[in-house]
This record gives sequence, C-alpha cells and structure tokens, in this order.
Amino acid sequence: MAVREIELPHPHVAAEATGIWSWITTVDHKRIGILYGVSGFAFFLIGGLEALIIRLQLARPGNTVVDADTFNALFTMHGTTMVFLAVMPFGAAFFNYMIPLMIGARDVAFPRLNALSYWIFLAGGLFLNASFLVGTPPNGGWFGYANLTSRQFSPGLHIDFWLLSLLVLGVSSMIAAVNFIVTILNMRAPGMTLMRMPVFVWMSLVVQFLIILAFPPVTVALIFLMFDRFFGTHFYDVAAGGDLHLWQHLFWIFGHPEVYILILPAFGIVSEVLPTFARKPLFGAPVVIYSGILIGFFGFSVWSHHMFAAGMGPVADAAFSLATMLIAIPTGVKIFNWLATLWGGSIRGTTSLHFAVGLIATFTIGGLSGIMHSSPPVDLQQTDSYFVVAHLHYVLIGGSLFGLLAGAFYWWPKMTGRLLDERLGRFTFWVIFLAFNLTFFPQHYLGAMGMPRRIYTYSAASGWSLWNFVSTVGAFGLGLGILLFLIGAIRSLRSGAPAGPDPWDGRTLEWRTSSPPPPHDFDTIPPVYSRDSFWREKHGDRFGLKPTPLPVAPDAHGIHLPTPSYWPVVVAVGIGLTAVGALTHVGLVVLGALLVIYGGFRFALEHHRNPAHRDQTGVLGVDHRKVAMWAFLGSECLLFGTLIATYMAYRGRSVTGPYPHEILNIPLTTLSTFDLLMSSLLMVLALGAVQRGDRRQARLWLLGTAVFGLIFLGFQAYEFTHFVREGLTLQQNLFGSTFFVLTGFHGGHVALGVAWLLALWVLDLRGKLAAADAVKVEIAGLYWHFVDVVWIAIFTLVYLVP
Amino acid sequence: MDGAGRARPCLRLGLVGVAALLGGCAWDGPQSTLVARSDFAREILHVYGIITWVSLGIAAIVVVALAWVLLRFRARPGAGLPPQVRGHALLEISWTVAPAVILLIIAIPTIEVVFRTQGAAPRGAIEVIVRGRQWWWEFYYPEYQLTTANELHLPAGRPAVLTLEGPDVIHSFWVPKLGGKRDVVPGRLNRLSFTPDTPGEYLGQCAEFCGTSHANMGLRVMVDAADVFERWIATERAPALQPAEGPAADGARVYAASACVGCHTVRGVSAGVIGPDLTHFGRRTTLAAGMLPNTAETLTAWIRDPQRIKPGAKMPALGLSEAQARAITTYLLSLK
Repeated sequence: MAVREIELPHPHVAAEATGIWSWITTVDHKRIGILYGVSGFAFFLIGGLEALIIRLQLARPGNTVVDADTFNALFTMHGTTMVFLAVMPFGAAFFNYMIPLMIGARDVAFPRLNALSYWIFLAGGLFLNASFLVGTPPNGGWFGYANLTSRQFSPGLHIDFWLLSLLVLGVSSMIAAVNFIVTILNMRAPGMTLMRMPVFVWMSLVVQFLIILAFPPVTVALIFLMFDRFFGTHFYDVAAGGDLHLWQHLFWIFGHPEVYILILPAFGIVSEVLPTFARKPLFGAPVVIYSGILIGFFGFSVWSHHMFAAGMGPVADAAFSLATMLIAIPTGVKIFNWLATLWGGSIRGTTSLHFAVGLIATFTIGGLSGIMHSSPPVDLQQTDSYFVVAHLHYVLIGGSLFGLLAGAFYWWPKMTGRLLDERLGRFTFWVIFLAFNLTFFPQHYLGAMGMPRRIYTYSAASGWSLWNFVSTVGAFGLGLGILLFLIGAIRSLRSGAPAGPDPWDGRTLEWRTSSPPPPHDFDTIPPVYSRDSFWREKHGDRFGLKPTPLPVAPDAHGIHLPTPSYWPVVVAVGIGLTAVGALTHVGLVVLGALLVIYGGFRFALEHHRNPAHRDQTGVLGVDHRKVAMWAFLGSECLLFGTLIATYMAYRGRSVTGPYPHEILNIPLTTLSTFDLLMSSLLMVLALGAVQRGDRRQARLWLLGTAVFGLIFLGFQAYEFTHFVREGLTLQQNLFGSTFFVLTGFHGGHVALGVAWLLALWVLDLRGKLAAADAVKVEIAGLYWHFVDVVWIAIFTLVYLVP
Repeated sequence: MDGAGRARPCLRLGLVGVAALLGGCAWDGPQSTLVARSDFAREILHVYGIITWVSLGIAAIVVVALAWVLLRFRARPGAGLPPQVRGHALLEISWTVAPAVILLIIAIPTIEVVFRTQGAAPRGAIEVIVRGRQWWWEFYYPEYQLTTANELHLPAGRPAVLTLEGPDVIHSFWVPKLGGKRDVVPGRLNRLSFTPDTPGEYLGQCAEFCGTSHANMGLRVMVDAADVFERWIATERAPALQPAEGPAADGARVYAASACVGCHTVRGVSAGVIGPDLTHFGRRTTLAAGMLPNTAETLTAWIRDPQRIKPGAKMPALGLSEAQARAITTYLLSLK
C-alpha cells in the first residue's frame, strides 16, 4: 500500500526522511515552501547583483563599466528575474508553507502537482539564466515590446531564451494557482468559514485567481511571438498588417494584474503581522478583505494606463485614467485600516513589525506616485522616465519586499523552530529602509529632470550626475542590508534560541502546532470558533470568554500523508528538455515531449485506486478534482478568448490573399461541428454508464466519444492540407497566421481530450474504472464539453460571421 | 519605534536630508519636466502641480499619523491587553468616501486636459513628419519639401503638428519642456501638437527602449523667432554651396567616390535615403543624434569608426584612411 499511516498516539515517531533524494521526491507543502524560498533567494541574489552592476554603470556620466548591449541585457534580466524568479516564488514559499497551516489542513489539495509547479519553476529559472552561460542573455526589456523582439531586430537566441522561459514559468504558476484555489476553497478546517479565514489566506486566494486569469493573455502573446520567431507568422509584422499595440495590450492585461500578484501577498502578511504585534484584531477585517478583492477586480480594467503615450486617443486615455484612479480607493482603505489597527494597540517593536510599518510608509509614497501616473497628461511626462523607476521600486520593494521580509521575520521561528536575533534584525531593517529610500527617492527627481529609463549612459551636461551617484551609493547599502539578513538567517539556523510553538502570542492556527510543524502539520485538526480562533482560545473574546472546546473528531482512517514521488521531477525535466531543444535540435524537443507525456501518464496513474485518493470531497461538497477543473476551465476561457479576440481584431487586415471568404468551406465545417457536438452527447452517455457501473456501455461510449473526436481531427487535417494546397499557409498572410494558430490550438485541445478519453477507455478495459472512479470521467467530460463549446464560438465567429 | 530616544536623531537626520535634497535640486535642467515652454507643457504642468500637492498632503497626513500612533501606542511593560476593537463602520465609510472626493479634484482637470491636448490640429499649424529610426531622428517639412535630421527647427508662437512615423521599431518622441512624450509606432500615425512659445534650444531624447543605442538617440528642437525661422527655411531649401576648389573640393571628390553616397543625400550630389540628409550638414550644431558637438575633430572620429562612438550604429566603418576622413570632414562642414 502506497500510504504511510501514522498512529495517532505516537505522531512524532514518523520522523521525516532526510537526504537529497527525499527533497527531490518530496510532496510535503512545507518542504516545497522551503524549496521555493531558497531557490527564490538564490535568484534574488543574482537579480540584485545585476542591479548593482546597473547602478555602477550609472554612477557617473559616460561610465564604461559595461557596454550598451550588456547593460540592456542586465536590466532585462534584472526585471524578469525579480518579478518571476524572486518576488513571485517568495510569495509561493509562504503560500505553500503557511496556507495549509493557517486553514488547518494537512497538505495542499494536490501535493504532487505542488511539487510539479516547483520543479517547472526551477527548470524555467535555470533555463533563463543559462542564457548568460552561452552568451546570449535576453536584451529586449522585461516587457519585451514587439517589434523590437522580432527576428529582424533581435536576431540570435536572446529573445528565444526569454520567451520560452516565460512560457515555462507560466505553466508553473498556473498549476500552483489552481492547486491553491482548490486547497483554500475545499480544505478548510471545520468551522473555518470563508469570512473566518486569515486575511493572508484571503489575499492569497485573490492572487491565485489573478494568476489563472492574467497569465493566459500573456501566454498567448508569447506564443504569437514564438510563432513569429520560429515559424515565420506575422502577428507582430507591421508590413503584413500586424498591429504593434496588440502585444502591448496582451502584455499589460497580464502585466497590471501581475503588480497585484506581487503586492497582495505582502498586504496579506501585513494584515497578519500588525494585529499580532499590536495585540489587537485587524480593524475592519471584512473591509480589508473586500478591498483586496476589489483591487484584484479593478486590476483587470486598468492595463492601458501603461500605454498613455502609445497613442490610443483621448477617449481610451480618459476611461483608463478614471479606472486607475478608482483603484486608489480600496488601496487607501487598506492603509487607513492598518493605521486603525495600530491605533490604541500595545505595539511591540519587533523586526517584523518594523518591516510592516515600513511598508505602510513606503507603499503610501509608491501609491501616491501611482496616482500621479493615472493622469495621462502627467504620465506623458513621467512614463518611461526614472520617475516611474522610482515609483515601481517603491511599490515592489517598499511594498512587496518589505511585506515579504515582515513575513520572513514573522514566520521564520515557525519554519525553523529558532528565533532570529531581534537586535540584528532591527539593525537590518534600518539599513534596508534608509538605503532603499536613498536609492530610489532621488530617482523621482531624476525622472522629473527628464532622465529616461533603460539608458546605459548620459552626458555630464544633463545635470543628472549627483543624484545618480547618490542612488548608486544607496543601492550598495541595500545590498549590505540583504547581506545582513542572510547573516542573521545563518546565525539563527546555527545557534538561534528555540522558538517554541507560539513565540509571538499569535492569532492564527499555524501557531497552534509545534515549530517546525510535524510532517502531518496537526496531530488533530483544530476546530475553528471565529476569526483569530487560536487567540480566542488563549485570551477569550471581548468579555474574556473562552470557547467551550468542541469534541475533537478523530481521523477515521488515521492520518494519510501523500507518498513521495519522482514523477513531478521527470515531467519538469521533460519540459526543460523541450525548451533546450527548441534552441538546439528538434530531436531534443521530441525527447522532452515524450518524457512529458510518459511522465504525465505515470504521474496520473501512480495513485489510481489508492484509498487515500478515493474520497477527495472537500468542504464545498465537491471533489477537489472537479473544483480544479472548473478553475482550469476559467483560465482556458481567457486563453481562447484572447486567441479569438486577436483573430477578430486582425480580420480584414491581411495585405495579400487568400482571404477568408475565398477559402472557408462552411458546409464541410458544419458537418465537423455537428460531429463534435454529437461527441458531447456520447460523453454524457459515457459518464452515466460509468456512474451506473455499466462497464460494457461505459467502454462503448468512451470509445465512441474518442472516435468522434478523431473524426473531427480528421476533418481538420483535411481542411488544413486543403488550405495549404490553395496557398494559405501559416506564413502566407495575417489571416493564415491567426486562423491556423486559433484552430490549431483548438485542435490540440481536442487531441489532448482524445488521448485522455482513450486512457480512460484502457483503464476500463482493464476493469479499473468502477463507479467510484466516476469523477475521473466527470472531469474529462467537463473538459470535453468545454472544448466543444469553444468550437461553437470559433465556428460562429470565424466561419459564419461574414 | 522602540523609544523616542531613537526617533529624535532620526528626525534630525531626516531634516538634514531634506535640506540637502532641496539644496541639490534645481528645478531647471536641460530636460526638466518642471519647466514649460509650450502650451502643451503648461497644461500638463497645471495638472502636475495639483496632483503633486494633493499627494504630498496625503503622504504627510499618513506619515505623521503613523509616527504618532507608533510613539503613542508602543507597548508599556506590565500593560494588559488593549481594548479589542474590531472595526467602526462610520469611520471606514468616511475613509472610503474621502479619497473618492479627493480623486475628483484630480480627475476633473485631468480629463479636461486630456481632451484639450489631443484635439483637432489648429489652423495654420506647421506640419512636420517625424521619423524615429535606430538611432536618430529624421524631420520632413511637407510644406517646404525639406528634410533634415536630429535638429528640428520650429517657429515660436505658431502651432506645430508632428506626425510620428516609425520605419523600424517603436521609439518615443520626448522634448520635456515642450510637452509630454508620444510613441512612434510603426504602422500607426501618432500625432503630437503644441505651440512653442519661447525661442531657445530644447533637448529631448527617445523615451521608448529601442535597442542597443537607445541611450544615444537624442534630439534638439530649435525654437526660432518667426523671422529667424523664415531665414533658416530659405537657406535650407537652397542647395548647399558646393566648394569649387581647396581642401573642401578635394573632400567633395573623396565623398563622391566613397560608399557614403549609398546612404546619404547631399542634394545635387548624392541621393541615399538610409542615413540622415547631409545637404546643410555644416549648419548643424551636433553630431550623431546629439551625442557630440559638430567639430572637425569629432566628425573625423565619427567617420572613421561610428561604432566606437555609438554602439550598434547602422553606419559602418568604411575603412577610410585618416586623410580621407579628414577630407570628407572638411567637405561636410563646408555644407552650410
């Protein structure tokens, strides 16, 4: 049996395995959290080093520390690294370690998928940085504006490294986000209603939704770029009728929510740290939660404020300006609620509190300079100048990083069982805080004096020399501060005082278990009486009344911990190989893809019929896998939405034929559409048969659905070859590019569905698909129906609308 | 934070810092956004001012409140639990509504200026087609059928409409004292219009990352009094005086025989369209998109090895000898 069972009376007997192999195969959310944190920190140091070289080069006018191309690569890699390989993984480290503990769960919903996201992230990060080793680091800016990134203007591997690693990292983020959505919604301890969830968990939930909705547009944008660079399509080709605003829109539809993906975890941390150290509940917790949701929601309606200079016209400028200003309201509410939390408290000046308060101060400045940019006229003077560099660092260091450091000092004792030196910690804070302001405050002035971003040199006559020098001095101070943090961490690991389970007199459930927590997190799942339930157990409510302890429900089957698995690593290696192959030899792509497919199947079937996996119904009353599928399909809507919207936007812009009306065969496609719709009907029959336990019918309908899918693919193959013969290829014109990529993507989805159905069919043939496994067919069915519905949209918009 | 004793030196340090900051900051500089020399720039500065003061006010309130709360409510030894206040509906509503009202103060002038500065082109405007190229600027005056590079001349007091064309990648036209920037997007025709009001020389540079030498893509706008501008136009439209004899004439022969003619136009001599028009090159004050003053020394160095001065420059080193480069220099500087 592939389950480790732990007898309750001796929960600590099952000490966790040690050694490198145990870390490679780990599926423990705490270990994965540590892996994210450590890898993120390593990348953070690389990104910091890049920043220091940038600052050295700019320390004086006409400096020659690095040449122009190196400088361009440094700021590209600095931005990309800090966003995707440092701040996002720091967030992931805390999501992983803390969310299950804070909601009273023993792990995440899909522990192996969790490991998979980490290993894919590592593969993506290593792949991106490998570009330095072969001498072709990306150099098109972290925002990679088309058409500078096209083969014509950026030959070589630079941009290829960048776009492929972002695609890989996107896959990692998507998987992790779906996993945490299911974990948070479905795995809360008894009594933990949504409104009793800690605010950190709430902000994390908002972040996961932002990830699944914001990543698809940029994924599509990157796929277009990949097709342009590798296969000669014309998405960003002006001569063929392409529109360069397309990239900017798709990038910022992702890019602005991404800002909130980076900042909301920090807001969540501050909302935990302030109450703990003020010894007072968070002031207006529901309002803080709602404002976080609103920030996430508005975050999707403001992307074009990054494009005020791009020439969208006054109406769009005005609309996006007002939407942007609206975001200031919920953000301001948070600041005021935090102030009110401190008001009347009994504030203990721990390092963690220092960073949290530092965030309030610096983020306020960053937020206010953000309001300045929300006004298009002012933005026209500030955008792409150092004023924006100052603004974004006030938001991402003064906001995100200070919050993450507050979290690091707050949760370090929980994660390691040891205290950090508070004196050194406070000193570290002041070094970082002062050096940060010294680095970035002068950059507001430099921007106001007209210094553009991304310039590797400037002349002494510009008047920018003094404050650039000051900024460089500050940057090295900031580096020193990070070094001090590292020293404190190492000293604590070596000789820190034991922390005990609850060193801060905490309020949330993670403080209710040992430090570090045992592999199974809690000996018994803690009951939840209210928000800050643990605090109430210790101190009582307003009247000093403590809750009557609820009877502890014993775990009927003992504690099931997921078993270690190496398939996540195998799949991640396959993905990495595919990316390497894309730059070297197509054989490696095939090898990588085979590894992904094989590893994926083994991954999926590893625990088939494992008793621990049989019942995954959570507090929503729905199976984890179904919640995950709904979240995934939500994300897929954005993916296909972006593809279809691009097709529509590019309609009629081709400069050469063949044109759609000359070539689309509506009667034939009506037939194939009918076939695909009928397959949905068979899918319904198949699910019904499996649920009834009617194996003969189940086999028949599963196979039938797959065959109908294959027939559809046959129609598509015929259509494609026919078009190619008629002269419509991917490279022929804008219509060919958009048509083949859109319908090809859909076809790929159908093919994946067919493979999935056939796998289920084989399982059934072997007698391994009982009525109890019906949920596996159900999620395949959800996917299948979704893909069919998407086809109806494509058929209508591409074929029927003239 | 843990004692007023620590806070006071910090405060003193802060005041010294602010004083140093103000001392080291002049509000004017070659590319200052805080000095307006056109109607467009003035409109922007008006909104800029409102937002800056509102922001500074809010920042001051938050920081002072934060500092006061931290000092006033720090933990005292032996104190029990503070009152466990969970919220206050009226307070929270008020600090939701107050920012909304403040935003209106910003939003109204913003929207007004957005529409005012992007309206229809005024009558009698001088039209210029601006082409941003890797990494220099080309200016074409359709009215005068005149092409020049990197130094744009405009008459003071007359509206100017710039149509921005991008032959290669995205650039951004930005001359801070004359107003905000506008991207030069290939495949789109963006427009920028303003009326420069004070004669003078205004510096700008490309503001959208455009590749290797993005930092070296400067430009100058010479705003001239009306009569000066008319004279400038008249001279520019006339063909340059070709030297008949002397070193400049020798240079002309070297130029005509060199690969220069493949890319550069000198009206009546060569008709290349890849590099800047050099017909009246001798009248330009700077070289290589504003990187260097236009002197014999810098020009010779540029002609011999452009890459060394402007990394990635599209102009190749032609392998000319020092003597040849000097001859061409003499010729080009004679083109007044």
